[in-house]
Amino acid sequence: MDWAGLLTDAGREIFAPTTAAFALAAIGLNFHFGLTGLLNMGHAGFMLLGMYGYAITIREIEANGGELFGVHMAAGAEILLGVLVALVVSVLFGLLLGWPTLKLRGDYLAIVTIAAAEMVRFLGRSQSLVGLTGASTGIRGSDFKRPFESVSPFPDRLVTVGPFTLHGSQSTSWWLVVVAWTVVALASLLFWRLSRSPWGRVLKGIREDEDAVRSLGKNVYGYKMQALVIGGAIGALGGVLWSFGNSVAPDSMGRPTTFWIWTLLLLGGAATVFGPILGSVIFWTALLVVKGLAGGLIPETWLSSTELEPFALVLVGATLMALVIFRPQGVLGDRRELAINER
Amino acid sequence: MRTALDTRALVRAGVILVVTALAFTLLAAFQSSGGRGEAPTVAVAEASTGFVPLTDAGLVTVAEATDTTTDDATTTTATTNRFLQNLVNGIAFGLLLALASVGLSLIYGTTGLSNFAHGEQVSLGAVLTYFLVSQAPVSLPLIPTQFTIGLPLLVGAVLAIALSAGTGWLQDKFLWSKLRKRRIGTTQQMIVSIGLSLALVNLLQWWIGGQKVRLSISIDTRHQYGPIQIGNQTLMSMGVAIACLLAVSAFLLYTRLGRATRAVSDNPSLAAASGIKVDGIIRLVWILATGLAAVGGILLALYEQGTSFDSGARLLLLMFAAVTLGGLGQPFGALVGSIVIGIVSEVSTMWLPPDLKFATALGILILVLLFRPQGILGRPERVG
Repeated sequence: MDWAGLLTDAGREIFAPTTAAFALAAIGLNFHFGLTGLLNMGHAGFMLLGMYGYAITIREIEANGGELFGVHMAAGAEILLGVLVALVVSVLFGLLLGWPTLKLRGDYLAIVTIAAAEMVRFLGRSQSLVGLTGASTGIRGSDFKRPFESVSPFPDRLVTVGPFTLHGSQSTSWWLVVVAWTVVALASLLFWRLSRSPWGRVLKGIREDEDAVRSLGKNVYGYKMQALVIGGAIGALGGVLWSFGNSVAPDSMGRPTTFWIWTLLLLGGAATVFGPILGSVIFWTALLVVKGLAGGLIPETWLSSTELEPFALVLVGATLMALVIFRPQGVLGDRRELAINER
Repeated sequence: MRTALDTRALVRAGVILVVTALAFTLLAAFQSSGGRGEAPTVAVAEASTGFVPLTDAGLVTVAEATDTTTDDATTTTATTNRFLQNLVNGIAFGLLLALASVGLSLIYGTTGLSNFAHGEQVSLGAVLTYFLVSQAPVSLPLIPTQFTIGLPLLVGAVLAIALSAGTGWLQDKFLWSKLRKRRIGTTQQMIVSIGLSLALVNLLQWWIGGQKVRLSISIDTRHQYGPIQIGNQTLMSMGVAIACLLAVSAFLLYTRLGRATRAVSDNPSLAAASGIKVDGIIRLVWILATGLAAVGGILLALYEQGTSFDSGARLLLLMFAAVTLGGLGQPFGALVGSIVIGIVSEVSTMWLPPDLKFATALGILILVLLFRPQGILGRPERVG
């Protein structure tokens, strides 16, 4: 058993771009669930739409030789346009989703959001849209990563910092690490600022007692819609960040992904500023350590290497159950503040 | 329970069914008169997307792929009417779906829980049957020996249904009744069921692996009845499903326990006040629901000629669509809703690509919630 290797891998997982991307998605979900109490079970749909919005925009511009309507675009402009498209698509999806559903009770909302997210995935993997989304194989990383990697200020080779070795600017790189965590920090700052604003107080009021807030003359529907749209847009950014280290594939953003985000948000503590970040770090590190330990300590005949992944995910499911039953406030949360209410 | 057989609600359901059927027939007639030239390309596209087993969208496409190949072979002798064929496939699929969604609806009605782990109960029935009847060596998670049980299919299926119903009893005794006693809200319970679903689906994958497995190796012989083709196994599955659904309906309508179940479903505190043991009824409902889900899972595995660890998970949202369409907590509504969903998802493949048929069903779910959130058979009440 390679203890030093496992320790290094676990250390790398703490700051890995995947951890940051899921932390960002969880911050988005924190706007929905933590602040407003919306049971959005389709968060992966927002992430997938963001990924498609960015990757398809960049792919089309790149295929056109870096030109849009005859104007040559710099790499930075391409990235900005891609991110803008991702945001617009996710905002539209949020408006479309919220319009019929935000008047519904909690579990109806959960069912509709999960159904909408699955519809996005079905459409994405449908053969009829193969020219746009690449069907179930998705969009290859080489089709949309070039602008992001070309603006990297880091060297174009492997760089070792302490015990960790990552590429300077390609795929899962130091450049991606820096960008991803900067975005997470900015989103956390936004959450911190907004949750302490009058606007955030209204959302918390809706979470605690919708009718009381309505009786104060607030437009509950409008506030819920704003929370849904903002959280969804942040989720879409999380999807874009995730796709930089991987590729755009619809099946990686299915229902399990949404459930992982829920688990890590509840683990860290919903309605807290650092909950999503801490939750994501604990979730991914623990998953890696459990897989490493089980692979190293349990003999191959008992638990083969292909069975490690389902084994670890059984534990994730059990963790989610235990968290909700015994510690719904997670590591950082305040139990008095966050009772999951009937809505 | 007055509303279950309310004549007005039944008339409404009938009207909706007839109108849907009429609309589809008209569209089908229009399609066949106007779009003759397009038909071969559609069949080709279907065949090319149909041969992708184990994909989410390709749930019934295995059966369908055989359809299209037989179609191609027999077009010279007997022409199968695609609309009627899809309608029959849809009814068969809807009946199997109903087995699972009636249980989901009963659980929702009596406890208020939207059970996200119900899809795994469907898979569990099929996987347990495979474990008991397979001639190939099987093993249990964490136990390094392989062995073969190899029971006859019927014995294995009955045993699997009993074991699945046992898991319902276990779940209620050690999990859900404790949560109710601790007064944990239904929303939290729903998230607990999501965790359970995540744990169970991965446990099943750990158990039988990711590949598709078959319960019976015999190849289904297909017969031609007028304009449609139907297999023996499909006919038998439909028969068993109808028998089970009739038995459940008779239980709910004519026995004391069934009446008590409907009373709890209507108003638990009133039922408790009139001397009904609510906890006992809920336990019974869990056993019934998980048992029915297992029957559905086994029949579905025979109908689709194979099962996998996530075959039930893929159905979960269709079950929710069916239950919501019929009115949450109304067992008869779930029955009607399932058949509507089954027919719509099969018939929609005439105009839409087959890998989008579940998206169509989910679209209906969203539309229903938009315009009639109480469902077809539900009472109008405030749900927001």
